[in-house]
This record gives sequence, C-alpha cells and structure tokens, in this order.
Amino acid sequence: MISAGPGWGRSARRLAVVFLALGLAAYFLLPAWAAPASNYDSLRLYTEALFEITHKYVWPKKEDALIYGSLRGMMNSLDPDSSFLTAKEYQNYLHGQKDVPAEAGLVLIVKDNLLTVASVIDGGSGFRAGLKPGDHILKINGHMVRNLTTQEAIRRFQGAPGTTLKLQVLRNNEVKPLDLTVTLEPLGVSTVTTRYLDHGVAYIRIRYFNNQTPQELATILGNIKRKQPPVKGIILDLRNNARGTMEEAVRSTSLLLGNKKILMAKGRSPKTEESFSGKDRDLIFKTMPPLVVLVDHGTARAAEIMAGALRDDARATLLGAKTLGLCGLTKTFPLEDGSALVMTVAQCYTPKGDKIQGKGLEPQVLGVTPKAGKTSAKSPRKEITPEQDPWVQQAVELLSAKKSKQVAQKAPASQK
Amino acid sequence: MISRKLWLWGGVALALGLACGWGLAGPVAVFGQNSNLPGAVKSPEPSLSPAPFSNAKLKVFAQALALIEEQYAEPKTTKDLVYGAIQGAVGTLDPHSSFMTPEEFRELQIETKGKFSGIGIEITLKDRVLTVVSPIEGTPAYQAGIKAGDQIVKINGVSTKHITLMEAVKKIRGAKGSKVTLTINREGFPHPKDFVITREIIPIHSVKARILKDGIGYIRITNFQDQTDHDLQAYIKKMRKRLVPLKGLILDLRNDPGGLLEQAVRVSDEFLKSGLIVYTEGRSRSQNMRFYARTGQEGKVATVPMVVLINEGSASASEIVAGALKDQKRAVIIGTKSFGKGSVQTIIPMEDGSALRLTTALYFTPSGVTINDKGIHPDIVVQEKKPPANETLQKFRDELLTRHMRREGLTDKAWNQPITQAELDRDPQLKTAVELLRHWPPKNLAQLLATPE
Repeated sequence: MISAGPGWGRSARRLAVVFLALGLAAYFLLPAWAAPASNYDSLRLYTEALFEITHKYVWPKKEDALIYGSLRGMMNSLDPDSSFLTAKEYQNYLHGQKDVPAEAGLVLIVKDNLLTVASVIDGGSGFRAGLKPGDHILKINGHMVRNLTTQEAIRRFQGAPGTTLKLQVLRNNEVKPLDLTVTLEPLGVSTVTTRYLDHGVAYIRIRYFNNQTPQELATILGNIKRKQPPVKGIILDLRNNARGTMEEAVRSTSLLLGNKKILMAKGRSPKTEESFSGKDRDLIFKTMPPLVVLVDHGTARAAEIMAGALRDDARATLLGAKTLGLCGLTKTFPLEDGSALVMTVAQCYTPKGDKIQGKGLEPQVLGVTPKAGKTSAKSPRKEITPEQDPWVQQAVELLSAKKSKQVAQKAPASQK
Repeated sequence: MISRKLWLWGGVALALGLACGWGLAGPVAVFGQNSNLPGAVKSPEPSLSPAPFSNAKLKVFAQALALIEEQYAEPKTTKDLVYGAIQGAVGTLDPHSSFMTPEEFRELQIETKGKFSGIGIEITLKDRVLTVVSPIEGTPAYQAGIKAGDQIVKINGVSTKHITLMEAVKKIRGAKGSKVTLTINREGFPHPKDFVITREIIPIHSVKARILKDGIGYIRITNFQDQTDHDLQAYIKKMRKRLVPLKGLILDLRNDPGGLLEQAVRVSDEFLKSGLIVYTEGRSRSQNMRFYARTGQEGKVATVPMVVLINEGSASASEIVAGALKDQKRAVIIGTKSFGKGSVQTIIPMEDGSALRLTTALYFTPSGVTINDKGIHPDIVVQEKKPPANETLQKFRDELLTRHMRREGLTDKAWNQPITQAELDRDPQLKTAVELLRHWPPKNLAQLLATPE
C-alpha cells in the first residue's frame, strides 16, 4: 500500500495549491521523492498536457483512455520487457502463456515506440514470409500499430493455426514499406539441431529456448562426446535467438560449465543481488573441445546469458556481431483497478560483472560482412546450410587452425 | 508568456537524403501567426481551470508511478517517466499529434524558420560513411571548397564512425561566427585534409525553379516555411522578365509534405483573384477560420494557364493549395492522388521547453470537401516512372542520390537553364503538364475541370 511519506513539509503548501487547483488530490498518495521540486514540476507538466488534450484535441477524448495511454507510454519508455496491461490484457496474460496453438515464430519487442522484430525463429512461418530481425511492423491487417505493449503484441501473433496476418513492414535501407503475409502455425518440436562439418567440427544450432532445450542439448552434447574420432571443436550457433527464460539458460549452460557461476542478477538495491550457478553433475565434458559461439543482433535473453557465461569462463570465443542487450528479469504488479504492470526488476550481468541489458555483448571476432546478395527484399527466405554460411565457415577456420584458445585469451574478455 | 502556434504537418517525407540543416527532407511546419489574413487565430491565454479527471484512474497512475520509483531495476527520474506518460497519452490520439522533447522542439523551430546557423551542406550516410551530398551554393562550405561526394571522417577531430545523421547535423551546426573543422577524405587526396569553416546564417530555400523554351515556367515548392511566399514571388518576377510572354506555369507539389497553413494560403493567393481558399473547423470556436484570397492582392500571374503536379507524397499545405486551385478551377491537377492529410496541428509549448503538437482542427477545400484520408484527386492521372522491376528500391534510391550529387536532378540546375527533352522523358507527369500547356487551352478543358459527381 502506498502512503504519504515523511519529508512533505517544506514545499507542501505551494504544491497543495497547485495540485488542488488541478483537482489532483491523488498525488498526495505518492511517497516522498529525493528531489521534490523538479518532480512536482514534472507532474505539473503531465497534468498540463492532459488538460490541453482534453480541451483542445479535435475529437473529444475520454480521460480514462488518456491515462491508460499514459501508463502504456510510461512503461514502454522503461525497456522493451516492461509493459502496462489493462485488466483484460492481464487476464489474457495470466491464462494465455502456456500452450500457444500456433504462432508466427517471431520474437517481438517494442523499442522506441516501434514494434520491432528482435529475432525470427528458423523455419517458422515468419521466417518463411521473409521477416528479418530489426524489421519494424507498421500495420497488422491494415491497422496501424500504435501504443502497443510487448505483451499485447506477442498475443496478436498467436492464435488458431491457419490464421493469416497481413503485415506492413519497414526495413532499414528500404525506401517503401514491404507488405508481407504470415500464417500462424505450430512451431516445430525440436529447438536444437546438430550437424558434423569438415575438419572434425560439430555444429549445434539452438533455434530458441524452451523448457525442453536443456534436455535436447544434453542428448546432443552426449552424442558429440562419444563421437569417434573425437571432435576437434564445437560451434554453438546462438544467432537470431531471443526467446527463453533465465532458468532455461542456466540449465543449458550448466551442461558446459558445471558448477561455475553463470550469471548475476542485480536489482535496485544491493540486497537484490543474486548469482546463479550450474550443477557439477550436469557437466558433460571433462575436457571441453574448443568452442566458438556465434552471436548477432538477434541474440538476446537466454542466449545472451549463455554466450556471456561461456565467454567469461574463457571457454568460448564469441564470433559475429554485437548482441541485442535485452536481458531483464520481470515481475508482475497488479494495480488497484485490475490492471497490472509487467516490470523489469533486475538485470543480468555476466559472471565477471558486465551488464548485458541495454549494452549487449561484443564479439571477440567480428563476423565478415556477407556480400550483398541480389535477392529481392520480399523473396521468401530459404534456410542456408552451415556449409554455405560465411560466419560458420569463419568459425570452422578459427577452430581448425586451433587458434580458438589463443584468440580467446588475447581478446579482452570485456570490451570498453 | 506562452503563445500558441498553428502548424500544418505533413504526413510523409519521401525526400532523398537528410540535409544538414534540413535543406532537402523533412515534413515542415511553421509559425502561423498572421494578422494580415482574415480569420487569423487569436492565441488564447493558458488557463489552469480544474481538470475533470476522475480520481480513480489517477490513483492508478499514481500507484504505477510509485511502483516504478521503488522497484524498477534502475533509478528513473520522474521527468523521464512523465515524458514517457505524455508520449503514451498522445499516442492514443491521431498519428499527427505528438509530444516533442525540448530538443526536438528546438529542431522543429530551426527547420521551420527557413534559416539556420551552420555551414551549408547536405549530408547523408552513404554505405555508413558520412558523405556530403552537396554544398549549398554561396554558403561557407561552398566557399571553403567542400564538394559533393566528400567523406567527412572527423568533425572537430572526433571520428564520425558510427555517428547518426542527427548527431552529425548537431555537431556541424552551431552559433554564427563560430568555427567547425571537418576532416575530409576525397578521391585524389593522399590523406584526409582539414577544412576550417566559419558558420553563418544559411537560408533554406523551399522554392526552386526552371524554365522551358516555349514560355513555360516550372516552380517546385519543397515545403511551406516562413520564406516560401517571398521566394515564390521572387521567382515569378524573374520568370516574367525572362519569359515574354509567360504562357504557362507548372507548380510542382510532389513529395511536398506541407508546412505552414498561413503559407499555403499565401501561395494560393498568389494565383487566385478572389474567393475562398480553405476553411477549418475544430471543437473550440477559436479553431474555426475561413481564409480568402485577397482581391487586388493577387500576383501578376492570376490568369496564366496553370498545372499543379501532385503525388502521394503531397500532403497537408500542398493539398490546401492543390484543393483551392482545383475547386476554383484555376489549374489542372496532374499526377496521382495526394496523401490525404486534412488536419491542422497547434503547437502548444510547455513550460519546460517541451511541446505538444495537437490536432485541433480539420480543414476543408472551398467546395466543402475534407481532405482527411481522401486526398486530392488529380484531373489527369499520370503515374510516376517506376524503377525497373528487377531493380531494388535501394539501388533506385542510390541512383537518385548519385544523380543529385552530380547535380543532375531537375532542380539542381540553375533556374534559367531550360528543361531538356531528356529530362522530360524521365518524368512522365511533368511531360504531360508541358504538353497540356503547349497546346493550351485543351479542347476538353471544361470537362477536365468539371467536378465529378
């Protein structure tokens, strides 16, 4: 429960005049802030803005809608994981999280007020429709996307199998928006695949994380361990992977690091600091083959935790491009009228203390820029094999030259 | 004192590169106080009467604010949160309403005054390298010898790697009389060279012109800002001297995102003898205005045959001009349907330097048609030349940019250099306009100008 805190004394009288004049007694329920004067100025700015809108906007506007809009805007301004949910959306959120019948295979976030594709799951319908990480979705079925929260956006892209969504998509470097159509469908079952490449290199692809991923990865790593002749190196592909929970990341990373520290979570106060480690019995390799982890702008959340932990342990070389930097732990706070806030309360740090949220992880080896292909922006994408993939080839070279370890030691563990 | 300002805001900006100092791109809006024209707005004083908000919802807002203050992963200032909240509130309105931070508001004011203090170059990021599109003639950059295609590797000694266009613009601009050092990499330079340039006031020209051999004048308005009517009048004067007789005028409003309502009225007035130009209707009576052409004030071209070019990038102020000239049967409209942005925004400055841009009225053409969502329909539909099917838009865009950098665009050349046949062939809409004016009056003129339905 919120209560008026101490420290109201000094400027209270002046403020009382202002806020009572505005009919905003509700603010007296707020606790005291560190720097009252500027905060009150800010609040006065808010009420002034609401006043102008209700009086001058060409079409009359309900104040409730404005305040709900404000809450959305305020939460969206925090980070892509924080959202305001109306009472109805909150109910959907509580009941709709499990067993999604069909989806577009996209990881969506709201960034700078734009609905943005953070990653596109391999082989999903969004992937086949040609969506790419970084795309901004402007319209869904002809409706302009405005003031949508991340949670609500995710829900729009879930539904009955066969549902089609017509999207207008703005892509960097494209002059005009693209029209793409995605059909919702169930995502395939397996999240991890593997393949043996030349030079004794094993390639592991994690498409996204779910609660099956640690088990799937354990099976695959077990197979790699038994492989004869022994593999000389492993490529772990975490590109374009932004879905997964902290727990899934910890369990998966534990297979490679055993009981080592995997991440730290820090909130507002030092008391909230917590570190998470794996278990020794999970450890699959006694001696790990050299490891290269592929990352890019679509690498976030669980994948970032895993990449950060492997890098800090000097077990792996990160190759590719800087990661997205989205790795917050959220908590839900129900509000008085049945609505709720989903809010980031703690952020992830790598074992060595590098903050991931908002910063991302820098790769130790930059991926070579692929030459611009002649494919049209709208053409559906085909999955390319690892043999055709320039970064995978770069990783193979790194591993077959057995440079991996040296590279990892030479490169600074954390940049800047 | 807080004053209210009346703006029109274009919905689209299809212009090429961003200009340093906004020469080329950008939807533009300008101050609209004007006592000369009938129906000018009287700015109401800000009044703080009791707001009618229900405490229940505000209590929820207060609860949320407190929760963020206490529990969010990192400290946030109330100001940041309130800015986010106002953004969100405005986000529930129409797409033309918005909230501007003090910085954004200052940028907009610079954009719309028709001048800024800088060195006078258009810049873009070409293959991620900060590149000069063109130095504006007569500016300090031009005099210092900056050339189109020059790569700016450093600004005041700081590398431009990873810089955004906005940041670059901000760094290059500055107070009049101050200096900026650009380190330029140019083909033929053995190593990058420093150029020290003194900033000056640079006018932004929103009107450009060309002529045709057979007595036809071509005028392009890129946006409607403070200086537009003056620039327009100056070109008309020059054309009337050069082209005797002046047989026809082409007013090109393609990709013109709009600007000031007052300027739309003044530009229309230049071509009309009398009659209604536009009227607006809002929720409050102060937003209801009617704008008429001032009899006896028209320019000397009020009877010259005229064609207006529009496309889907013509918005707001452009649509007012096209709508007035169409409804008054003053000009034949050629091109494709315009954007359809028929609302008026008022800029409301807030006390901390930020501002609200609110849609406060809708405007209507003289015949009472709202432009909102509908747009202006051309009398003769002519499509733009499409890029070849196998060419990507990016490539098409690059080619346009290259052409502009070589000063080969239609309005990159001197105004008195006649438009060539090759240039006409590149632009079917312009070509149709020229054909029409060459054989004026067309046999079906009455039919062309007839109001459909």
